[in-house]
Amino acid sequence: MITVEKGYEKQMEQTLSPIRRFLKIRGMGSAVTAFIGMVIIFLAFGLINPIVFGSANIVNLLRSMSIYLLIGIGQSYVLITGNIDLSIGSVVGMSAMISATLMTMGVPVPLAILITMICCLAVGAINGTLVGRFKLPPFIATLGTMFVARGIAFMVNGNRNTDAIASGIGREAATSFGNVFYYGRTFGIFNTFWIAIVLFIIFFFLLSKTRSGRHIYAIGSNVDAAKLSGVNVGNTVTKAYLVSAFCACMVGLIRAAQSGMGNMEAGVMYEMFGVAASVIGGVSPLGGTGILLGTLAGASVWQILENGLNMLLAPVGIQRMLIGIIVVIAVLLDVVLRRGQGTKLSRLLQRGNSRAKRE
Amino acid sequence: MGERLVSMKHIYKSFPGVKALDDVQFALNAGEVIALLGENGAGKSTLVKILSGVYTRDSGQLEILGKQHGDLSPKQAQELGVAIIHQELNMCRHLTVAENIFLGREKTKGDVLLNRKMEAEAQHILDDLKMDISPRQVVGDLPVSKQQMVEIAKALSTNAKILIMDEPTSSLTSKEIEDLFRIIGALRKSGCGIVYISHRLEELKHIVDRVTILRDGKYIVTADFAEITIDEIITHMVGREITEKFPRVSCEKGREIFSVSNLNAGRMVRDINITLYEGEVVGIAGLMGAGRTEMTRAIFGIDPKESGEIRLDGKVVKINKPMDAIKAGVVLAPEDRKKDGLCTKLSIRQNLALPNLDMISDKIIGVLRRKKEDVLCEKAVKSLAVKAHDIDVDAANLSGGNQQKVVVGKWLARTSRVVIFDEPTRGIDVAAKVEIYNIINQLKEQGVAVLFVSSEMPEVLGIADRIIVMCDGRITGELMADEATQDEILTLATKFEQKTAAGA
Repeated sequence: MITVEKGYEKQMEQTLSPIRRFLKIRGMGSAVTAFIGMVIIFLAFGLINPIVFGSANIVNLLRSMSIYLLIGIGQSYVLITGNIDLSIGSVVGMSAMISATLMTMGVPVPLAILITMICCLAVGAINGTLVGRFKLPPFIATLGTMFVARGIAFMVNGNRNTDAIASGIGREAATSFGNVFYYGRTFGIFNTFWIAIVLFIIFFFLLSKTRSGRHIYAIGSNVDAAKLSGVNVGNTVTKAYLVSAFCACMVGLIRAAQSGMGNMEAGVMYEMFGVAASVIGGVSPLGGTGILLGTLAGASVWQILENGLNMLLAPVGIQRMLIGIIVVIAVLLDVVLRRGQGTKLSRLLQRGNSRAKRE
Repeated sequence: MGERLVSMKHIYKSFPGVKALDDVQFALNAGEVIALLGENGAGKSTLVKILSGVYTRDSGQLEILGKQHGDLSPKQAQELGVAIIHQELNMCRHLTVAENIFLGREKTKGDVLLNRKMEAEAQHILDDLKMDISPRQVVGDLPVSKQQMVEIAKALSTNAKILIMDEPTSSLTSKEIEDLFRIIGALRKSGCGIVYISHRLEELKHIVDRVTILRDGKYIVTADFAEITIDEIITHMVGREITEKFPRVSCEKGREIFSVSNLNAGRMVRDINITLYEGEVVGIAGLMGAGRTEMTRAIFGIDPKESGEIRLDGKVVKINKPMDAIKAGVVLAPEDRKKDGLCTKLSIRQNLALPNLDMISDKIIGVLRRKKEDVLCEKAVKSLAVKAHDIDVDAANLSGGNQQKVVVGKWLARTSRVVIFDEPTRGIDVAAKVEIYNIINQLKEQGVAVLFVSSEMPEVLGIADRIIVMCDGRITGELMADEATQDEILTLATKFEQKTAAGA
């Protein structure tokens, strides 16, 4: 019996087409499903309203998607370790406010960005230490830092939004800051997208190909096993939170560049948008599974939906409701397919499977 | 005798409220297998966890390969050549076999993983051990026994000089146990020292050179295995003589009360027919993965049935979910007590009360009556001899044997007609086993029909009146206990259907 199965397995590995092998990569299944969903939604909206297919719209779409992608990358890193980061939105606000305040005070842009980055990463380090080293429940620890970071965003400029950053660093510097992060284009596509995609490639590589990335999955899968295998749990969890804080910081800078000022309310609820993008793409909030390609697909699904509904002049309320429904359905499908033994659907699938094996 | 690998002297270790180790000594030489024996809670696991760096000792000397060492971290211990196979499975179930084997010591260039190299090496290790596992399989998809084999492969892959096995055979099939013993023999020859912890004393004769016995955190004795009998070992472990390993009571077999006919539920439960009588213990024997647990789950209504009829006192009862079974008087003490049997974060009291809340609350809004709860719990604790300070202790803090008693105790408060035990004695010590047997006998005397699933053949032969053997989801035979032999059971347990062997 066992030998039969093994023979089958070996045979399969040899005869697998490249596409099948690609699909066998862990987590690829849900990512591909999300991509297919994305394409269907995109085509559907395009058929209703051809403007959706227009190059102007697609370029805009890519830019707005980038923000959710960055947020999603950070949240995915943390979710895969089996934790959660509720402070992301507040860090976005903190980043926007600190950078803009410094610039209105005339601090040169590179230095302002550096200081902002240090402050944001400090939040990530605190999150990582509380969760990884002191074993606080991540929900509580990051709930705390969420309030603290938002409080800092409020306090930085004395409880009000900043003036235009041009008032401090001058019109020219302000324009170039805006161009680098938001308004400028390279090869016809907004720079925001290029920033997001470069970071995506870097973080994708780090998560899937490096030792630290492997440890992130191991901790999310079974923290005790990881610890007993010599994985430094505290450090690895901290790394994940640092990635999350870094991504949030970038989004804060993008927001500041977009509005040319600092807004205290920037990034509210973003942490949940990050969870949604991750989960739609197949990252399990229980840890251990999911890949960033899925998060990319998840962020795209969301943006295309938002964009398409905007084109149809649908109210924001409808957009939110649809996102909520999609998140639940994505996870529901996952649960039904994987663990819902005994449900009709899964039994059907299993039967198909075993038949394939027998043949 | 080879060089001294490990020498531990005057080891003390306390946990809050418990003295786990009290002046314990231990020594291991190259090229020997030493069995570390003792009841649950004797301190075996604590001792090896100190050796492998999971715990730090309060005081005492630890010498590895001739060098004194202070507190070790798991990683340091690993680097010194100490590898441990833990009692609980410690695998990342989302990762592949190769990823698990190399977890924490990945092969990398810079920080980039060399997956192909690790997979090739993992394949090499698995082939060496003659394990039929692909390094690219995801561990969570493997059956438990294979996961255990991966864990063993992982420990061996570190080229450890000192290998600790904490109950490595608890979820292996007898074929796999044979393979493991072969591997242990080869390692011994190559000069490794092996610490072997097991409750299955009859295994020891195949592999062990010496035994060290602990009791209640104290060192008792070390002896050459050739010069000590199993009975002496048990006496040392328990501190008193156990006269009867398998107490048996004889009852008049009464009328038929429970029957299952043509039960089918998935691949592992096929055409099951069982009839139970008053005052009779029916043992279910078979290899790991024979479908015994799946059968109990289907009967109890946890997994859906495809077909089949269940009758209680001649009347058909529909059992679609556990509540139906409980209402009918059919109860199950499941195999995995930590996962399915207990809420470990709740107290003994809460665990005992959980399935009986209907009996201790008022019928309208369900307010719990503390007094009724007290009575129920006290009765259960007393009749089962659960050892605990008081019944408000968390179930997690109990030893395995006492946890099992609570699992059983949950059901004894109700007047059940049929009680199903799935591996009730796995991983618990000799004395606690006897107490579980006594509970089973008590039920039998009360006229309850008992279904008793066990992988340990001497136990099935000793306790059951009638033995049903399963293999590959089917019942392959039925024997009367007083006529059956281990050989006969094994023959039936390996009676695979012809077509599967020749299939595909």
